[in-house]
Amino acid sequence: MNQAYLQIKNLTKEFLSAYQDEKVIAVKNFNLEMKRGEFLTLLGPSGCGKTTILRMIGGFENPTTGDIHLDDVKINDIPANKRDTCMVFQSYALFPHMNIYKNVAFGLEFRDLATGEIRKRVEKILEFVGLAGLGNRPVAQLSGGQQQRVALARAMVNEPKVLLFDEPLSNLDAKLRIKMRIFIRKIQQESNITSIYVTHDQEEAMTLSDRIVVMNRGEIEQVGTPEEIYSRPRTKFVADFIGKQTNFMTGNVLESVDGRQEVEFWNRRFSFERYPHLKKGDAVTLVIRPEMIELSAQEGVCNGEVTLVTYLGSEVNYEVTAEGQVFTIQVSNPLKTGIFRTGDRVCLNFDLRNIYLIKA
Amino acid sequence: MKRIAKEPFLAVVMLFIISCLFLFVIYPIVRVFLYPSGKELITVLSHPRYIKAIFNSLFMVVLSTSSSAFVGFVFAYTIARTDVPLRKYFKLISLLPLFSPPFMVAFSYIMMFGKNGIITAKLLGLSVNIFGWHGLWLAQTIAFFPIAALMMEGVLQSIPPSLEYAGRNLGATGFTLFKTITFPLARPGVAGAALLVSIQVLADFGNPIMISGDFSVVATEAWMRIEGWADVSGAAILSLVLLVPSFSIFLFQRLWVGKKSYVTITGKSTQIDIRRIGSFMRWFLFAFCSVFSLLILLVYLALFMGAFVNGWGFDWTPTLRYVREIFSRSTEVTNSLVFSLLAGGGSALFSMVAAYLVSRKKFFLRRFVDFTCILPTALPGIFLGIGYSIAFTRPPVDLHGTAAIIILSLMFWNIAMGYQTGIGAFQQISPSFHEAASNLGASSMRIFKEIEIPLIKGPFFSAFIVSFIRAITTLSVIVFLATSKNVVATFSIMNLVSDGFYGKAAALTCSLLIIAFLVLGIAKLALGKRFELFKV
Repeated sequence: MNQAYLQIKNLTKEFLSAYQDEKVIAVKNFNLEMKRGEFLTLLGPSGCGKTTILRMIGGFENPTTGDIHLDDVKINDIPANKRDTCMVFQSYALFPHMNIYKNVAFGLEFRDLATGEIRKRVEKILEFVGLAGLGNRPVAQLSGGQQQRVALARAMVNEPKVLLFDEPLSNLDAKLRIKMRIFIRKIQQESNITSIYVTHDQEEAMTLSDRIVVMNRGEIEQVGTPEEIYSRPRTKFVADFIGKQTNFMTGNVLESVDGRQEVEFWNRRFSFERYPHLKKGDAVTLVIRPEMIELSAQEGVCNGEVTLVTYLGSEVNYEVTAEGQVFTIQVSNPLKTGIFRTGDRVCLNFDLRNIYLIKA
Repeated sequence: MKRIAKEPFLAVVMLFIISCLFLFVIYPIVRVFLYPSGKELITVLSHPRYIKAIFNSLFMVVLSTSSSAFVGFVFAYTIARTDVPLRKYFKLISLLPLFSPPFMVAFSYIMMFGKNGIITAKLLGLSVNIFGWHGLWLAQTIAFFPIAALMMEGVLQSIPPSLEYAGRNLGATGFTLFKTITFPLARPGVAGAALLVSIQVLADFGNPIMISGDFSVVATEAWMRIEGWADVSGAAILSLVLLVPSFSIFLFQRLWVGKKSYVTITGKSTQIDIRRIGSFMRWFLFAFCSVFSLLILLVYLALFMGAFVNGWGFDWTPTLRYVREIFSRSTEVTNSLVFSLLAGGGSALFSMVAAYLVSRKKFFLRRFVDFTCILPTALPGIFLGIGYSIAFTRPPVDLHGTAAIIILSLMFWNIAMGYQTGIGAFQQISPSFHEAASNLGASSMRIFKEIEIPLIKGPFFSAFIVSFIRAITTLSVIVFLATSKNVVATFSIMNLVSDGFYGKAAALTCSLLIIAFLVLGIAKLALGKRFELFKV
């Protein structure tokens, strides 16, 4: 297969503002290609346009400009009820006057299928999502997790070409959310169904996705695997949005020597792997994750002072002030290294291999 | 516009709804305003007789609203916030008058406490004159406190118990807690309920026409103007006198009190714990509610007795004469039933369609439809009746003496309740149901049939039942429209009471009550939990 399965070209969506007097651009010139069977997440803060893209794929919004192709067919002008896409809604949108079985069978009833065939498929999918034998339950009596499973089954039973998820876990409590996202990932891998998932929760995106599209203000910031997004963020926005409490420092590129680059910060020189797009004299932002700094009593840059200690059991988080800047530092397995107290003088060691440079 | 052209059926429905609202709500109102001349206006409004009636009406509004609101609040508080014994029965009893003709209280009290009253004259041997403002005050208090209680109970229920817990936690208990937390939080809602009651007191026609005697109020004077002098202009002017304060209170209530409410409806019902209150207070509330519950029960007792007694006050021999008369030759009960079924059904259907359009579609005049559908709440029955009689009993539209004029007036008088129920229901049906169904392959028609209609069934029938009961029990709307050809039961009852034929009047009232409660019972059985009435 050489052609992408889902292809979005130059997609733009403009809305009129509430007072209808100005245009708001929700999605701007969005391009994306997806392989069959891929799980892709649109990740970004609220209002970044991710849900709007999902709704345009599902047919609930019309693009202002641009095209969406699914399996070599342009689907822009196909009404929602004729599209081969199924959505799992944020609110689940389970029909309250129907039981589980009827909810799941709803979509199948619009096809030329024998009643026996419908029953067979519904029962199969209910078993698949772990709700076998519960078809007669009214949906109002279900727990959040069960409702989620019904919503998933109702969408999957139609075997759509693309399964769309609109923040489906946001109404569940934290523990169930973690359980359900693993469940969704397993189901998706078993069925190999092409899926697009919208969320603002980065952990969810990391767990579920083959690839993540990080969005901001209607535009793509970066597309990549979870690992790429975390370890090699292309913009400061991505570096800041992904991960918790990322530290930033500014420096200057001094020169390139033997395939390495010398970068100056804090009036010291540090040697990094060579970045092809950086030249001598460029100002750079250093992306330093909290776990990339080690603390010790003697070695390294020794002018830090511990200002806050948060003990979390498996790790300790410190706030350390050094060179007039506050750093967030995460130390795993604190029982091994010992714990510093507020007011302690500490030295900072940077894990240079993992620090990433962005052109400022 | 492009979208409307795509759906011609929708466009026709919109046009129909808008035209109906213009013709049957706006047009009669405008006709009342335009009917009297400026000179007539000054003559009537400067006449001492009508100045006195206006003063009397205001006097009754203040008096009866205060007492209804007070009794209503005590009931609501007892039901919602205490462990007073029998409070469930107090609630049940206080609901009864909501399904009964409003004038029934006055009529029944005449039979109980009047000159020939079974309690005053027969049991106590007193000679009491109940006719006048004091009788009216009693009747209106009993007639209108239940609606106040119902609304205020809703207000109290929606105050989160956590706030009271917080108050108690900070040291406030008992009456201090009530004074500093509960009542201030409930105050906007309570004020809103009182204002709505005051509209009803102002518009009340049935009680004063029966019990107020020489003490005239505006609503009854308007009726006298037409009945006695055939002076439509004078009646129109007096009905305008009713409309202006009623409409102002309505606007004030919606714009000001609505916004001031501290209570936010989140949809999550919080379990309220019933706390024990001091034993003095507990027995005081019990005694208070018992007395007023008894006063309600006596209303029904007297009516049922009256239907089976030969001559109330002088000949107490039992008889089945009046009951038989109703079954043998009484068109008014049949008329009442048929007209009200049609008006109730029409009203529920019309208001659901209007609510659907307003909540789901964007179209020109959408705000007009929204406003006009709620407007009838602010129209006193008397005013609407006069409006219909001016607008539709002479060419170009002459429906004089027809069933149509009664059905239409009752139908449009009642659209506000159904409409508000409908708006609430459509708001609860999340648009994502629509999208989910469409996403699964359902077309617009299928979505309407399989998603919207099943979900709207409960609210539709609630609207139907409320409209039906209001239609079959009203007197004020139809008093200017009923003739011998299209007579309805409430109209006959009024005439029978004023001529002293209490037996037949009581039997007719009882048959209305039986019909109303039967319909209510059937609806409750058929719809179960989905059936909610008077959601305020």
